[in-house]
Amino acid sequence: MKLSAIQTSHGLNSKETIPASPQVALDVSHLSWSIDGKTILTDINFALPTGQMLGLIGPNGAGKSSLLRCLYRFVRPTQGKITLFDQDIEYLSSKAFACSVAVVQQDTPHYFDMTTEQLVSMGLTPHKGMFDTNSSKDGERIAKALEKVGLSHKMHQQYERLSGGEKQRALIARAIVQQPQLLILDEPTNHLDVRYQIQILELVRSLGISVIASIHDLNLASALCDSLLLIHNGEVSAMGTPTEVLTEARIGDVFGVCAQVSVHPQHKKPLISYFYGYYDATHNADERGEGE
Amino acid sequence: MVTLLTRQQFMLLALAILTLMTPIAATSFGAANISFMDVIHVFTNKVANITQASGMTERIVMELRLPRILLAFVAGAGLSLAGSVLQTVTRNPLADPYLFGISSGASFGAVVMLTLFTSSGFFDNVAMAAHSGIFSGSGALSGLLWFSLPLGAFIGASLSVLIVLALSGLGLNSQVERMLLSGVATSFMFGALTSLLLYFASPQATASVLFWSLGSFAKASWSLLILPTLVVGVSLLIILGMKRQIMALQAGDETAHTLGVNVPKLRLSMLLLCSLITAVLVATCGGIGFVGLMIPHTVRMLFPGRQPILLTALVGGLFMVWIDVLARCLLGNQELPVGIITAAIGSLFFLLILRRRRVVG
Repeated sequence: MKLSAIQTSHGLNSKETIPASPQVALDVSHLSWSIDGKTILTDINFALPTGQMLGLIGPNGAGKSSLLRCLYRFVRPTQGKITLFDQDIEYLSSKAFACSVAVVQQDTPHYFDMTTEQLVSMGLTPHKGMFDTNSSKDGERIAKALEKVGLSHKMHQQYERLSGGEKQRALIARAIVQQPQLLILDEPTNHLDVRYQIQILELVRSLGISVIASIHDLNLASALCDSLLLIHNGEVSAMGTPTEVLTEARIGDVFGVCAQVSVHPQHKKPLISYFYGYYDATHNADERGEGE
Repeated sequence: MVTLLTRQQFMLLALAILTLMTPIAATSFGAANISFMDVIHVFTNKVANITQASGMTERIVMELRLPRILLAFVAGAGLSLAGSVLQTVTRNPLADPYLFGISSGASFGAVVMLTLFTSSGFFDNVAMAAHSGIFSGSGALSGLLWFSLPLGAFIGASLSVLIVLALSGLGLNSQVERMLLSGVATSFMFGALTSLLLYFASPQATASVLFWSLGSFAKASWSLLILPTLVVGVSLLIILGMKRQIMALQAGDETAHTLGVNVPKLRLSMLLLCSLITAVLVATCGGIGFVGLMIPHTVRMLFPGRQPILLTALVGGLFMVWIDVLARCLLGNQELPVGIITAAIGSLFFLLILRRRRVVG
């Protein structure tokens, strides 16, 4: 609440009126993070225009989750500056920050005694004061979010009893209830079958807010993201539209696989087909030196 | 689904009736023979302010039993509340109010006081005074002890909390683990010191420490009631106000952080609050175990899918009142320490629920 007031005073618009000229939702400059003398992220620079969806891609251990953790302030970068709608995130209060940024993480703790509805209503936490109770409007918002992710019929069920995909969708419903202007998702398509992978990302896109999501499936990232940020060994390897980022050479360099990039028949963005047979290659011919 | 809801409603109804009945019913139990009707009579007289002529019955009810019942209620409610909050913020189902060495710190403080009085020749029939409490009506000697023992207990409890806090720090990384481990270490350290002191102390001192550590509400009075009621009441309000943040912690530190919760700060302040409740209660009624650990679990099992802070406090309070009634009545002419009964009955009851849950689930 407070934050949106500050923003309007700065001349920025909330999500109801998306400005004609692209504003910057998130700007990261010269971000580095090291822990115990080990460098995890080095000099990361990028900007996310308001209302766009940015896909974060890169091999395991490249630093995707670490970068996201810096963005939602769970870890403090050693160097660099992150601004959210022109405000340095370091100076925002926990509450104000959570009112504009929602996060869906990879996994939740096991011991967790809550119904799906209670989990989703947790999204109200930053918006509520000490003794505020949930209003009927909040109830509607929760019901609507559950409907959006297709979990209305499971609202009274224990969260622990949901399947992996349903849990993921419940967490996204919680993020919707949080009404953020920026949504950060750490591998939201894990545990999901292909239909829900597409459905979840399309749902997130339909919210009309700025999104950063780390995604493993390159074809999914290509199809559904406005732009991609490719990270390799803690550094930005490429940034741009899917067509600019996803080239055969780069996929070979960064992921160590051979791939052919063609044009997808429907959305005209890159379609990646992988080649197989690395085991035989590394054990017999040893052509590429290092396999997976 | 429907049967579950109605079952919960039924239990809530039963609980409400029990709550209304308890003050009157529990007051009519005790050494002196006072009937249910006598109690109602005294209460209505008091409310209507009819007579000032104080009969023996009225004095027993108003001066002895009512404050005692209220103290038991406050203690039970406070310990359950502290246990419930600590279990949530440390995400450890085995957490209880004594987790951070509070009870051993308090025992140590109490023992120091006791041995101080013994060695200075001040102490003669302390054990007897401890048993009969305020009923003995003895003078300055036991009065001084009754004052110094809670004070010592409170200082000891605070000391252990300070040590744990100093070790656990403000960082987010493995805060819970460090808290729990330093709590265990502190607990053992004070335990060793207590044993050492007791080893050289007189048998009477040892006996009264044992009696004290098992807990009793025998010395309840209206003036003694003020501090615990105030502390537990204010803490309850604060905890209710922070309910959303506390619940968010259940989903993990990182999730709570993304929901706008300042995790280390919240956890530390809740720890401090619970320690304050526990230290005050330990100092006034001795170390009553088990309630803080088991009542929150019992309530969670009886009312699944709720986040019942008020309910936990209520059930804890009622449980303690009736345990105290048992303590007064089980043996004809002697009182049993409350701690023994809470542990014995509570664990049986808990095992029963656990078993039924397993059969049902």
